[in-house]
Amino acid sequence: MSAVSAAFGTNMAVCRRSMLLIRYRTGFLMPARFLSDGEPAKFQPPVKPVFKDELVPAQLQRRFLSPEFIPNRCRKDPLYFKIERNDMVKRRKIFDIPEFYVGSILAVTMSDPHANGKLHRFVGICIQRSGRGLGATFVLRNVIEGQGVEMRYDMYSPRMHDIQVLKLEKRLDNNLMYLRDALPEYSTVDVNMKPVMLLDYEVPVNSIQVQMKPRPWSKRWEQHRFNIKGINFEKYLLEKHIKRAKKSAKPWEEFDMLKEYDTTKIEQELLQELDRKLDKSKNQEIGKKTAGPNV
Amino acid sequence: MAAVLSRRVLCAARWPLVTDSPVPTLLLVRGKKTATWWDEHLSEENKDFMKHMARVEYDAMTASKLNPLKDEPWPIKPWAPGSSRVGLIAVKLGMVPLWTKSGEKHAVTMLQVQDCHVIKYTPKEEYNNKCALLTVGGKNVSPFHKSEEVMEFYSEAGVPPKQKISKFKVSDNAILKPGTPLYAAHFRPGQYVDVTAKTIGKGFQGVMKRWGYSGQPASHGQTKTHRRPGAIAAGNPARVFPGTKMPGLLGNVYRTSYALKVWRINTTKNIIYVKGSVPGHTNCLVKVTDTTLAVRQQGFENLPFPTFFADGDEELPEDLYDEEVFQFSEPSVNYS
Repeated sequence: MSAVSAAFGTNMAVCRRSMLLIRYRTGFLMPARFLSDGEPAKFQPPVKPVFKDELVPAQLQRRFLSPEFIPNRCRKDPLYFKIERNDMVKRRKIFDIPEFYVGSILAVTMSDPHANGKLHRFVGICIQRSGRGLGATFVLRNVIEGQGVEMRYDMYSPRMHDIQVLKLEKRLDNNLMYLRDALPEYSTVDVNMKPVMLLDYEVPVNSIQVQMKPRPWSKRWEQHRFNIKGINFEKYLLEKHIKRAKKSAKPWEEFDMLKEYDTTKIEQELLQELDRKLDKSKNQEIGKKTAGPNV
Repeated sequence: MAAVLSRRVLCAARWPLVTDSPVPTLLLVRGKKTATWWDEHLSEENKDFMKHMARVEYDAMTASKLNPLKDEPWPIKPWAPGSSRVGLIAVKLGMVPLWTKSGEKHAVTMLQVQDCHVIKYTPKEEYNNKCALLTVGGKNVSPFHKSEEVMEFYSEAGVPPKQKISKFKVSDNAILKPGTPLYAAHFRPGQYVDVTAKTIGKGFQGVMKRWGYSGQPASHGQTKTHRRPGAIAAGNPARVFPGTKMPGLLGNVYRTSYALKVWRINTTKNIIYVKGSVPGHTNCLVKVTDTTLAVRQQGFENLPFPTFFADGDEELPEDLYDEEVFQFSEPSVNYS
């Protein structure tokens, strides 16, 4: 019953009509209790199917470590990070924070005392992930009725109720703040969007280059410190702008060994630690094919 | 004294490794008064051995102080109005966010109590005839850079040498035996504390940064006058009054943040979560006491008095939370 009703929608009336249709078209007689006019049973959503490919070895499956786990390079006591991590794990056991990247499309439900029904849902494209530890945040952007709207969320705030990944993808840049100066269609997301299935083990990279509004922009995105690949600057810049941007470039910084911070080893250790602390069954979901696998 | 003696004894025991010449071993160990460093005449192995033995000695000292209630304790007196308890010395670990059950976010500072011991008791007759003093030290350090007089001071209490010591005025019913270990559970969530520490040194600064002066305009005919103080006195007194705000050294002075609420306490790692920011840089040592603000002293009669004893009857959970604090093992906040 539940599977059939889900297949045809949530409305009981629609559901009943559909089943009558099936009955007449196929000649299949449904049990009479489904067709009774008594008290309609409460709708129960079907169990979300989890697709696992057993053939893919574990090495090929995607491992994702949320970037806020990686400690800053600083002189703080390692105990500080450890204790903070314990709290983060505690919260993650109760509240599922899925894998997502800058450029993914998310729907966030958050409790809000001023909202209708005390819950507020916002759909948008993630344009920034920032903060470390318990203070980690992300920013969603959308254009609603012609007005650009950005919401900054605390990932570990108790007001968060649900983070749903509608479309899992990466972009060319790790920070999409330049969408503020791009044409609105590049940050417009349908509010009623349905989740998109991910049919690959690798997270796809959307290599789109956005159309910008005419200069001046909120920041000089052509400067080398932003290192933006998602804009085709040749269209918008004059010779003097390119010259000025080159002047502020610091090409030697990539060879600065003091600035190197190799986190691969730390990430390995953190992944092992999280595997231990978080529920093992949760980590099995990494390899699943649906949108929004979790760690 | 014990540590100093043991150093000498250690060297005597390892004599064949130190040198082949029949020089008296005691000459090889020098205090801080001489111009040599402590391991100047030691081989690498001997140096490591000394360090190892110092650590073993520390552990033994700390372990011997873990049961203050069984070790000939001083009489424990009940709380009375006007009593003042001893404070703690803690390490500032850093700041983290914390949420209340109503969903509000607060910034809190984590203070860790590391190896905090009572070192000395000064009766009030020896101080000012009004209140007694307790000297408390926090965070163990190497004994090899301390002078013998200082080492003697610590060995009297039977505790390892400390990075910071501090004196607390206590009432007569709150005195503690030297050597008593102090823990974060000395404070309880919901109470208010004062935190004293040296602020971050900013060096020699101008009046704009040091005193918040506005400076002068950037343009409109200014010549070399943009961040200067302007006039410092009038013509009539014809002198500069003492205490006039001028450029000078900023920071690196003791400051106190008053009446900070304790939101949470971790009893295993001895961490106090205190609301807001406290003076000093990360990893600096701060002094934490019960607040002196009378309006924030409600409930002080319920605090562990004279301090929390780990070998007492009280069984504490790993984390103590204030009533308002959201615990991460709870479900999300709902406003309906």
